[in-house]
Amino acid sequence: MFQALINVAVRRFAAAIPTVFVLSIVVFFVLRALPADPLALLLPPNATQADAEAVRHSLGLDRSIAVQYVIWLRDALHGSLGSSISFREPVTRLIANALPATLELTFFGLALALAISVPGGLLLYGMRGTFIENVLDVLVVCMLSVPAFLWAIFLMLGLGVMLGWLPFSGRVDSGVVIPSGGTGFLLIDFVTTLQWDHWRNAAAHLILPSFALALGFSPLVIRVLRSSLLEASDDHYVTVARQRGLTERQIILKHMLRNSALPTITLIGAQFGFLFGGTLLVETIFSYPGIGNLMVQAVRNHDLPLIQGIALVFCVITLLINTVVDILYVVLNPKLRRA
Amino acid sequence: MQKPVSSNVSAAVLKPVAGRWSPPKAALWAAALSPKVVVGASIVAVMVICALFAPYIAPNDPADQDLTNMLLPPVWSAEGLAQYPLGTDSLGRCILSQMIYGARVALLVGFFAAVGAMLLGTTLALLAGYFGGWVDRLISQLVDLWMSLPPVVLSLTLMVGFGTGVGNVILSIVLVDWTRFCRVVRSEVIVVRRKDFVAAARLLGFGDFRIIMREILPSVAPLIITLFTLQVGIGVIVEAILSFVGLSVPADVPAWGMMIAGARNYMYQAPWGLFLPIIAIFVTVLGFNLLGEGLRVSLDPRLRKRSV
Repeated sequence: MFQALINVAVRRFAAAIPTVFVLSIVVFFVLRALPADPLALLLPPNATQADAEAVRHSLGLDRSIAVQYVIWLRDALHGSLGSSISFREPVTRLIANALPATLELTFFGLALALAISVPGGLLLYGMRGTFIENVLDVLVVCMLSVPAFLWAIFLMLGLGVMLGWLPFSGRVDSGVVIPSGGTGFLLIDFVTTLQWDHWRNAAAHLILPSFALALGFSPLVIRVLRSSLLEASDDHYVTVARQRGLTERQIILKHMLRNSALPTITLIGAQFGFLFGGTLLVETIFSYPGIGNLMVQAVRNHDLPLIQGIALVFCVITLLINTVVDILYVVLNPKLRRA
Repeated sequence: MQKPVSSNVSAAVLKPVAGRWSPPKAALWAAALSPKVVVGASIVAVMVICALFAPYIAPNDPADQDLTNMLLPPVWSAEGLAQYPLGTDSLGRCILSQMIYGARVALLVGFFAAVGAMLLGTTLALLAGYFGGWVDRLISQLVDLWMSLPPVVLSLTLMVGFGTGVGNVILSIVLVDWTRFCRVVRSEVIVVRRKDFVAAARLLGFGDFRIIMREILPSVAPLIITLFTLQVGIGVIVEAILSFVGLSVPADVPAWGMMIAGARNYMYQAPWGLFLPIIAIFVTVLGFNLLGEGLRVSLDPRLRKRSV
C-alpha cells in the first residue's frame, strides 16, 4: 500500500509541473492582453515622458512580452516572483505573510463544511420518501443559491453588526500583537507562546469567515453524500447486512458511510477550487489579511506581478489538494492499492 | 471556436425537443408541472419582466441623486418616504429602482455567458466524447488545466487582462465556465456513443457530423438544458462578484454587486441597503436553480424513477 501511495504522489507531481508551467504562461499573457499601463500608479502626476520611459525600462516593461515572461520564469525558478508595484515589497514576502491566514481559514471552512454536511446528508437520506425530505430538499436548493460571499455579508450583518456576538474584522483585535517568527497560524502560535486570551480572540475572529465558506460549500457535499447513500442502499452488501439482522443505524454508520466517503472526497477534490476561491471575497468582506484579500487588492491596483504570483500560489495549492485527494482515495479504496 | 459548428449546435438543441421526439413531449409536460419548475419559472419570469420593462416599473430614475434624502430607510419605517419604497443609498438614489435596473446587467450577463459557455463547452465535449483518442486527451487536459485554478481567481485575472465592460464580463465567464459543460456533457456523450442507435446510424453509413448532430446531441440535450439553466444563476453570481470588486460595468450602470460594495461602508447606519441587493441576487439565483433542478429531475428518466 505504501508503494501505491508513493506511486500516486509521484505521478501527480509529475503531472502538476507542466500544469503549473502552462498556466503561468496563460496568466502572464492574459494579464498583458490589455495595454493598460501599470505605470499610472507608480508615477507622480507631473511625471514627464522621459520619467515614464525610465521607470518602464527599470521594470523591464519595454521589452517584448515573451522576453518578459522568460525573465519572470527565470526569477521564479530562483524563488523570486518580482516586486509588487502597489506595495513596493517582494511578492514572495507579501504572499508568505498572508498565506497562513488563508490556509487557516480554508482548513476551518472545510472542517465546518464537513461538520454541517455529513449530518445533513444523513438526515436527508434518513428522511427519504417523507414530506420532510421535500422540505429539506428545497432548503438545500436555497442554500445552493447563496454563494459564500453573500453568507459572509449575512453573517457579518446579523451576528456581527446587529447582535454584536462575534468580531468581524481582521484576524485579531487591533490591540493584539501577532507573534513574529512563528508559523503564521495564529491558533498554533498563540498556543506555543501560551497566550490563551489571544488564542480565544483569534479563534473568535475565525468563526464568521469560516462559517461563510462552509455554508457556501456544504450544499454541494450534502447532495453528493445523499445521492451516494441512495445508490448504496440498493447495493448487495447493504442487502446482506440487512439479512444479517444489523440495524439500519449500524448499516449506515458502519458500511454505507464508509463507501459514500469515496464520491464525497472526489467531489471535495474536484470542487476544492470553489471553496478556495471563496476566500477572495470572504476575506475582503471580513478585512481578513489573507492571500484572497491580497488578490482582490492587487486586482484593483492592476498590480500585475502580485496578481500572477498569487494566481500561481492558488494553482499550486489546488494541485496539492488534488494530490492529497488521490492519496486518500488509495487509502480508502483497497481496490486501488495494488495498482 | 468553430463558429459554423456552434450555430448548428443551438439549432439542433432546440429542434428535436420542440417537435420530432415524441417520448420527451410527455417528459416536458411532467417537467412543466413540477412545483420546482413552476416556482422557478415564475421567479425567472418576474426578473425578466423587471429587466425588460425597468423604465416603466421603477418608481425613480436609478441615477437620480436626491442629496436631501440620503440613506433613507424603507417606507414602512417611521422616517421612510413613499417616494422611495425601499429607501435610498448614500447618494440619495432610490434603492428599489436600482434593484430593478440591476436585473438588466445581471440577466444580460447570466444569459449570454451561459449561451457562450454552453456552445463552447458542448462543442468540445461532443468532439472529445465522440472521437475519443488524442482529441479527447487534448480537450480533457485543457479542462484539467483550467480546473487547477479556482474559477474566481481565473475570472478576476481575465478581467484584469480584458478590462471592464459587459462584453468582457460575459467573455470571461464563458472562458471560465465552459469546463462545467465540457466535463459533464463529455461523459454523457461517451455513454450515448456506445448505444445501439448510434451503431445503427453508423451502419447506415451516416457521417460523423450527422451522427453527432442528429443522434448524439438530441440524447444529451436535456442535460444541456439543465446545465444551461443552472449556469445562468452562476453567471448572475459571478457578475455580482465582479461588480462588487469594481471590475464589471461602469459606475453609472446599476448592478447588484456594486450596490453591495457601496452599502458596505454604511452598514451601521443603513443595513437595509446591504440586505436588499443580496435578496435580489438570492431570489434570482434561486429561481434559476429551482428551474434547473426541476428540469433535471423531470428530463432525466433515471432520476425520475428514483424520486418516485
